[in-house]
Amino acid sequence: METTLKIWAMILIVGALNFVSRLSFIAFFARREMPILLARALKFVPAAMLTALIVPMIVLPGDSASPETLPRMAAAIVAAVVAWRLRSPLGAIVVGMVALWIGKAIMPV
Amino acid sequence: MRNILTDRDFRAGFTEMMPANLGLTPFGLVCGVGAAAAGTNLLGALGMSAIIFSGAAQVLAIQLLSAGAPLAVIVLTCFVAGLRFLMYSAAMAPYLRPLPPRWQRALAFLLTDQAFAASIRRFDAGGHPREGAMHFLGGGLALWSWWQVTNAVGFFAGNLIPPSWSLDFTVPLCFVGLLVPVLRTSPALIAALVAGVAVILLDGLPMRLNLIAAGLAGIAAGTVVDTMEARWKRR
Repeated sequence: METTLKIWAMILIVGALNFVSRLSFIAFFARREMPILLARALKFVPAAMLTALIVPMIVLPGDSASPETLPRMAAAIVAAVVAWRLRSPLGAIVVGMVALWIGKAIMPV
Repeated sequence: MRNILTDRDFRAGFTEMMPANLGLTPFGLVCGVGAAAAGTNLLGALGMSAIIFSGAAQVLAIQLLSAGAPLAVIVLTCFVAGLRFLMYSAAMAPYLRPLPPRWQRALAFLLTDQAFAASIRRFDAGGHPREGAMHFLGGGLALWSWWQVTNAVGFFAGNLIPPSWSLDFTVPLCFVGLLVPVLRTSPALIAALVAGVAVILLDGLPMRLNLIAAGLAGIAAGTVVDTMEARWKRR
């Protein structure tokens, strides 16, 4: 019972904080002008944040050094080329997974 | 409601989220499995996926919960992991500005990594703000609905997928599909490069603060290069 209470307190508080973070600047700049330099900097949020999210998942998977790092890097590059040339996010996932399986099979770990 | 569901942009946003949904499926399953292992019931597991609606925060919450961490620690850690939402919110703000507050709140709730990347591209492509908002709503709802399904399946079915298949790799792959179209300009490439190097170098930072620090470093680098380029062209 105590655990249930803790879990729901956590869900509601973390959920509320997440929502406040997500709404924060949308609400703030709804009524104010955004400084030009900030607007210019924000153009780079997708490029910088997506890369910061992706790289640790490829290079540092899990908590310990993984023998899969090399095949993962190779497969990610193959997927990036597919996403770039074919403009297909689905193709990137499928080809990337196949590349990883092939890489794991042929690269000595 | 009916004209939302038949809206062209809503449907496009919904459909375009399918590859990301596929990529995130193993992540959702893991969250559901973790919730079950941490001793929640189905309602608790779905409460996490429906209300917290962030895989990274859910995984952290589950780990800390299982380790018996105090509520304050869980809340703080999840908040830090969600700091990137502040950046997404700021980047989205100019596009959502013309919309009524009701729409701003609804779309903010659906603001995730994937919905952000997909809808900012749609907004950049131009058109009426309403079209971009509909596209965002479609993509966001597609993601939210599928997230509940994958979390519930993970909760009931457990670890069905052998770890040796490395299906967790579909998560970075779905991000790669979102990232590549963004890298069209040299400042964007520099921003990505700096962020990618910084996130590794700063790996020692606590509470995964390296993510947000690397993001800020990349944004700063991109802005500097962009400003320099603009000056060069003016000469």
